[in-house]
Amino acid sequence: MSSEIVMPKLSDTMEEGKIIRWLKHPGDQIHHGDALAEVETDKADMVMESFEEGILAEIRLKEGESAHVGATIAVLRAAGEGVASSAPGPAAEAGAVKVEAPKVTAVRSPERVTPLRGAKRRRGSNGSEAEESPAEPSSVAARGSAEVADANLAEVDEEAGGFPVSRDFHPALSGHPSAAPTAIAAPPERAIAVTTPHESHLPLPPDPAKVRSSPLARRAAEEAGIDLSQIRGTGPDGRVTKRDLDNFIREQQLFRFRRLVAPREGLPGTREELSKMRKTIALRMAQSKREIPHFYVTIEVDMEEVVKLKKSLEVTELFEENVTYNDIIIKATALALSRYTRMNASYQDDGFVIYPNINIGMAVAVEDGLIVPVIHECERKTLPEISRASHQLVAKAARGGFSGDDLSGATFTISNMGMLGVEHFAAVIVPPQAAILAVSAVKEKPVVRNGQLAVGKTMMITVACDHRIIDGVIGARFVNEIKRFLENPASLLV
Amino acid sequence: MPNPRYDLAVIGSGPGGYVAAIRASQLKMRVVVIERDLPGGVCLNWGCIPSKSLLNSAETMEAIRGAEQEHGIGVGEVRVDFKRVIARSRAAAATLSKGVSFLLRKNKIDYIEALGAIAGPHTVALTPVAGKPAPRAEAIEAERILIATGSGERLFPGMSVGDGVMTSREALLYDRVPASVIIIGAGAIGLEFGYFYQAFGSKITVVELEKQMLPGFDEEVAEELRKAFVKRGATIMLGHGYKSMARKNNEWTVTLDAAGAAKTIAAEAVLVAVGRAPISRELGLDRVGIEVERGGYIKIDDSFRTTCPSIYAIGDVARMPLLAHKASAEGIAAVEIMAGVREPGFDLLAVPGCIYCEPEVATVGLSETQAKARGIEVKVGKIPFRANGKAVAVNQTEGFVKIVASKQYGEVIGCQIIGHRATDLISEVVLGKTLETTTAELGHSIHPHPTLSEAIMEAALAAEGEAINY
Repeated sequence: MSSEIVMPKLSDTMEEGKIIRWLKHPGDQIHHGDALAEVETDKADMVMESFEEGILAEIRLKEGESAHVGATIAVLRAAGEGVASSAPGPAAEAGAVKVEAPKVTAVRSPERVTPLRGAKRRRGSNGSEAEESPAEPSSVAARGSAEVADANLAEVDEEAGGFPVSRDFHPALSGHPSAAPTAIAAPPERAIAVTTPHESHLPLPPDPAKVRSSPLARRAAEEAGIDLSQIRGTGPDGRVTKRDLDNFIREQQLFRFRRLVAPREGLPGTREELSKMRKTIALRMAQSKREIPHFYVTIEVDMEEVVKLKKSLEVTELFEENVTYNDIIIKATALALSRYTRMNASYQDDGFVIYPNINIGMAVAVEDGLIVPVIHECERKTLPEISRASHQLVAKAARGGFSGDDLSGATFTISNMGMLGVEHFAAVIVPPQAAILAVSAVKEKPVVRNGQLAVGKTMMITVACDHRIIDGVIGARFVNEIKRFLENPASLLV
Repeated sequence: MPNPRYDLAVIGSGPGGYVAAIRASQLKMRVVVIERDLPGGVCLNWGCIPSKSLLNSAETMEAIRGAEQEHGIGVGEVRVDFKRVIARSRAAAATLSKGVSFLLRKNKIDYIEALGAIAGPHTVALTPVAGKPAPRAEAIEAERILIATGSGERLFPGMSVGDGVMTSREALLYDRVPASVIIIGAGAIGLEFGYFYQAFGSKITVVELEKQMLPGFDEEVAEELRKAFVKRGATIMLGHGYKSMARKNNEWTVTLDAAGAAKTIAAEAVLVAVGRAPISRELGLDRVGIEVERGGYIKIDDSFRTTCPSIYAIGDVARMPLLAHKASAEGIAAVEIMAGVREPGFDLLAVPGCIYCEPEVATVGLSETQAKARGIEVKVGKIPFRANGKAVAVNQTEGFVKIVASKQYGEVIGCQIIGHRATDLISEVVLGKTLETTTAELGHSIHPHPTLSEAIMEAALAAEGEAINY
């Protein structure tokens, strides 16, 4: 029999992989766990290992080429293939006991292949023991004649016309207690032939058929290419349930991620585990840069009028709380967003959704991370209302009393590093949003007013846009719109 | 004798309470059960058990009535001593109630006849019950308290029982066959009594506010059951709400509301089966800050713990569905979680629901509609009993088996059976669901021929498009 090797999913977000180098070549003997190829994924270059045994028969994806996860990239042939299919069946004597114990993994093959119908039916009637075993428990006769370490003799039956020729001495039928694929079950009358000293001290590989597990967990594990024996079951007597499998997959993905961010081997350094927040940031920012084609538009804003407005508001004490630059920028941005609706949107599978509400998130630094409290429905809020909402969120950030709503539902984000004195910077879009505004410090700069050089107060703003739904023109008009509002701030009080 | 401090005090000895008590005793707890009525609670004395005895009599009646036409076996005049039908059901209840007393004694569980109420996080106050000897103490102390007080019959406001107006409890003692009965509520209880009275010759009218019988059940099952009732001569009025009732000329006149239009029907007796309400009032819950949710259910967490950490609640008083076997399973789970031998959590979707009229209805898990509403992609296999050899042989071809499986793995998500012996058939699927079975195992397990259970195998195969006989 032969089996296909598919492009494995080496990270939770991987969609395709590129072969950098094949480490095995056609004709090579492959053992379980052997390094097959170096694969370039979205996250890193990784080594792809074999889940199976056999001989590499064919390479279908050349070095330097890419393929989607699940696509066939090579074909593995079982050692001794061809001999098995022409097996004479029961006629062969059992004296020729196979010697090499096949290494066994819980998975039939890493690829998503629906088992043959015939095989599936037998599963049902043979019970769970047989089902999980990649080596269909088979008789000595069939094995003897095949004289191979083929880990799956199910095929033999198929090719022998569908009738299980070798089933006469099926261990289960002969009453032998073990149906383990390598503990070769002997029909009573052939016991002598089998219990040779040579055979009896063969090391037994872990038998996946002995892993207590639910049919659902087994089927899902098979599709996901996961060895059930690695999983700790929480069902009765340690039975592996679907939930255990799901938890395992989740942990494994995190583990893979941790491995990716670990310092290179050999270089000195101490390793630190990521906090939960850090992990989230890492995952989402990586996802953003991977999936969203960013482009950036920067414009300089004359803040003279805003500075004056802010001062006059402070003097008159019209509002309960002092209005901050940030509040004013949020208001200006909200107004600009209401005119450039595509900036307040989300790309979704060949389409995009424009949000009716303008919910602006503000990136706020906290201990080793950041949180993004959200001011909801900015399109309806006046400047004092935005100011009040913002003050409340700041107070909650200090006390740590956020509710779920305070931190979710943003449709656009503003990252303000003005207080850190930065000249200019660009931010990473927070998926699934379409854009993010980076706000730098208000600085004194030479400006030209009415043809005269003067000392002005200016500020750089940079918008990062998702190029899948926003083009440069829109991005440029959007920042210009914000600039217009900020340079004529009376409009913000209406 | 000093007042002993128990490890666990259980209030209520129904299928939830007494089972929890026995399991707790097995887990080496010192246990006391407090019961105000009879050992075994409503299930044994006023619910499941006596009603099944009555339904068995009804089934016998139906078989005898149909014997001549069905089998060519003439039986002549059929006489019914209805008092004995009722007495038989009381005897069954009494036998089992005694059995519960025996089991409690065998497991060295103290049993107190009193009305129990929460007096503190570790204290149950005992109030004497009329007609029974006063308990020796006014209160008992326990490390933990388990509330298993169950549920009671519900009536419309202003309605009172008597003179032919009954809930299931009165109906169990009503020892003559009414010429006509109006049944308000087409849920499990209403339909079981409907079938019972119909079999003994009453003219029955079933009134239901919702647009289908068995609200919440699979629509096809409900419709199949409606047809079966109509075929047996019942009048089914769906989408009719109860408004009022009055006594006129030895009859009860019930006024109904059908989308704004009033309608009046009359009958000798009225059975009110509009659900049951948890018995959570007058338990002193607010004394220890136990929160109660909408409908009167006691709020519990994954470990069956109430908002008072030393007090737990299970069964009808805690949450729906109101089923004896769910209460028992929850009782065992709660006690095992207390003892630290089980992880918190309880899968309500693995609780089967059964209705014992004819044809019977039995379900577990989600229906096709419910699964879709949850966004689960499903495939459905449906096999009518008329395609089942045994069903045809015994002429019980009403109904069908429906298996709902996940599209991805064929995981058995739910099963709905309507038909003869459906309640005995469902257990196979319940086991399968508990073991996370897929359609492959159900469909490829060899089922004996000829049996009704083959329909389950075929339905599993049908979900995969591989049914052989249909």
